Amino acid sequence: MTDAHSPITAQKTRSVSRRFSYAFIGILTLILIAFAAVGTVFNIMMIEGELETRLDNVMQLARTSLPAPLNNLDKDMVNTFVETLFLDTSIVYARISRQDQIIAEKIRAGFELKALETSLQPTWFLGAQFIVESSDIQFAENNVGKIQVVVSGERAKKQVLFQIYGIAALIVLIIGAIWIFEARTGQLSQSVEEQKALVEISRVVSSSLNVEAVLTGIVRHAVQLSKTDAGTIYEFDEAEQVFVPLTNYGVDAAFIEALRKSAHGVGDDTVIGRAVIKKAPEQIPDLENVPDYPLPFIKEAGFRAMLAVPLMREDRLFGGLVVRRKEAGWFSKPVEKLLQTFATQSAVALHNAQLFREIKEKSRELEIANKHKSQFLANMSHELRTPLNAILGYTELILDNIYGEVPEKIQDVLERLEKNGRHLLGLINDVLDLSKIEAGQLTLAVNDYSMGEVVQTVITSVEALAAEKKLELKSSVPRDLKVARGDEQRIAQVLLNLLGNAIKFTDRGEVRVEVTVSDETFLVSVADTGPGIPEADQEIIFEEFKQADGSSTREKGGSGLGLSIVKKIVKMHGGRIWVESEPGKGSTFRFTLPVRVDRQRDE
Amino acid sequence: MMKTKILVIEDNEDNLRILRDLLTSAGYEVIEAGTGQAGVTAAETEDPALILMDIQLPDIDGYETTRRIKADPARQAIPVIAVTSYALSGDDVKAFEAGCDAYVTKPFSPRELLAKIREYLP
Repeated sequence: MTDAHSPITAQKTRSVSRRFSYAFIGILTLILIAFAAVGTVFNIMMIEGELETRLDNVMQLARTSLPAPLNNLDKDMVNTFVETLFLDTSIVYARISRQDQIIAEKIRAGFELKALETSLQPTWFLGAQFIVESSDIQFAENNVGKIQVVVSGERAKKQVLFQIYGIAALIVLIIGAIWIFEARTGQLSQSVEEQKALVEISRVVSSSLNVEAVLTGIVRHAVQLSKTDAGTIYEFDEAEQVFVPLTNYGVDAAFIEALRKSAHGVGDDTVIGRAVIKKAPEQIPDLENVPDYPLPFIKEAGFRAMLAVPLMREDRLFGGLVVRRKEAGWFSKPVEKLLQTFATQSAVALHNAQLFREIKEKSRELEIANKHKSQFLANMSHELRTPLNAILGYTELILDNIYGEVPEKIQDVLERLEKNGRHLLGLINDVLDLSKIEAGQLTLAVNDYSMGEVVQTVITSVEALAAEKKLELKSSVPRDLKVARGDEQRIAQVLLNLLGNAIKFTDRGEVRVEVTVSDETFLVSVADTGPGIPEADQEIIFEEFKQADGSSTREKGGSGLGLSIVKKIVKMHGGRIWVESEPGKGSTFRFTLPVRVDRQRDE
Repeated sequence: MMKTKILVIEDNEDNLRILRDLLTSAGYEVIEAGTGQAGVTAAETEDPALILMDIQLPDIDGYETTRRIKADPARQAIPVIAVTSYALSGDDVKAFEAGCDAYVTKPFSPRELLAKIREYLP
């Protein structure tokens, strides 16, 4: 029969009908008429039924193997599809390939392919075999692959060639559909993996300042998810204009050393050098085709394909991410996109690390400057005090008539001179205290002391002041207090400051000191019947240079440093200080103090 | 009647004058030394009843000066009042360790200093 030798043009599935030559259609028509005459309608029915079953099988396979990653489909699933195709005895060869890579291939035993290896192009055969070929099936800009099936004309002799061709074409379509279906779900599961990796990476990027650890994580994920064999993240050294390998995955120490020594830069004919110029991903599908690649050791290490993505942020180059694969071939668009995401994360990590380094450097400078400032203040106030001591000393001697009787008029002026001098000294001392605390020079001299004695000493020293303003001064301290431990002088300073303030700001009524003890902690309170402190000011009065009310600063004097020093001393003892007050109802300053303080607390 | 001798070891001229004026008017005889070394020598030759010791001195500091004076058994009993700087905490401890009997912190009030001296001198 001549029909077996009829030329059949191998068809692209998308254009099966269009590509049918008129001659073929003519012959086909003749054959159809001839076969119809001998009643092959039965055969057609039979084949259709078979096709349906086969379709079910294929769909079943697709369903049960989900959600398999793309690679599993590549191997196992495709082989199964091919097996399924082979249920049709007229099919003698099937091949599923992507780009130039064969994913699955099967030839029926006892058959020989004619010229198929050399010609993958659609062609026709005068022999007994026909090739049916799909075009590249695209999914999400990704080449899924294509299928070629060779049908034996001899085996199909008793059937209508059109039917055979139709079945093969349909199978190709189905496989294409499954491919897409599978690719979609594969991509889905892939993207779930990617999402997981990205979430993990962005968490690490934002939480960790250890840039190396972050980048190591990124390069590992990048290699694993892109199904490549190795990867490197380079940092771009702006001073030297070269890429420095920061972290690597899947390569040995010798390889890293070779990378480090190669010192390639922007615009060099390396994959990363080119990617950076393009500001886009760059691929080398097969190093075998690039005999003069600048880094020969990469090929020597067995790598064939490379993909590089520049690490950019706000148009600034931070480095590059390169993955390498031992298998040659193009990298798909999704892989490029994936790596770009990783590159963005890496750039963020590198940028963060740089900012962190800068901040660290700045804060170190600041710290030094601050130390200098405190040291300067400490020295300065010490220097200021020496002449002031002399002024105060002479004044006192004159007032005590050591240099002869002082006329009353001059005496009054001298008293004012002395008062102002003492105030100035107080200010200088406060500045000195504070700057010493800030410079970390104030250390507590911890010794045993008696709280009762401290209170008594302080009360004695302010009695005159209180009497001058006709204020009652009361104290309540339990008699049987245990021996306490702390810096007695500093604790007295705290109490003196609080009592001094209370007397200063109270014009009538009383000032009362009370000490109680519970849980190995003193609770000391200094209460007055003064004007009180508005709630809004109750926090800020403990800050430096702050008083509750600007007018009282002028009226009452003081540096505005006293309470901030008091607070620092209390804190150094591990205590806490606060104020309870209501305008018009007086103020109560309270502080806690561990009865036994053995170690100074840092702020 | 012989006046009680007080040795003032102090290098600041104003402080020295204030102390001299204060102590002289209180009826003491003041012997002055501007350095630690001069102070050690004066303690030997003058045999003072009390020593006022500044801590910051140009040569050897007040602690060391005190140590050297107190090393001589004949001078061990002379009370030494250290004039410590307010600025440095822990000076009091160091002063006692060096053998000082008492200390006043700068800035001192002449009146208070006089009271302190009278605790040691009849």
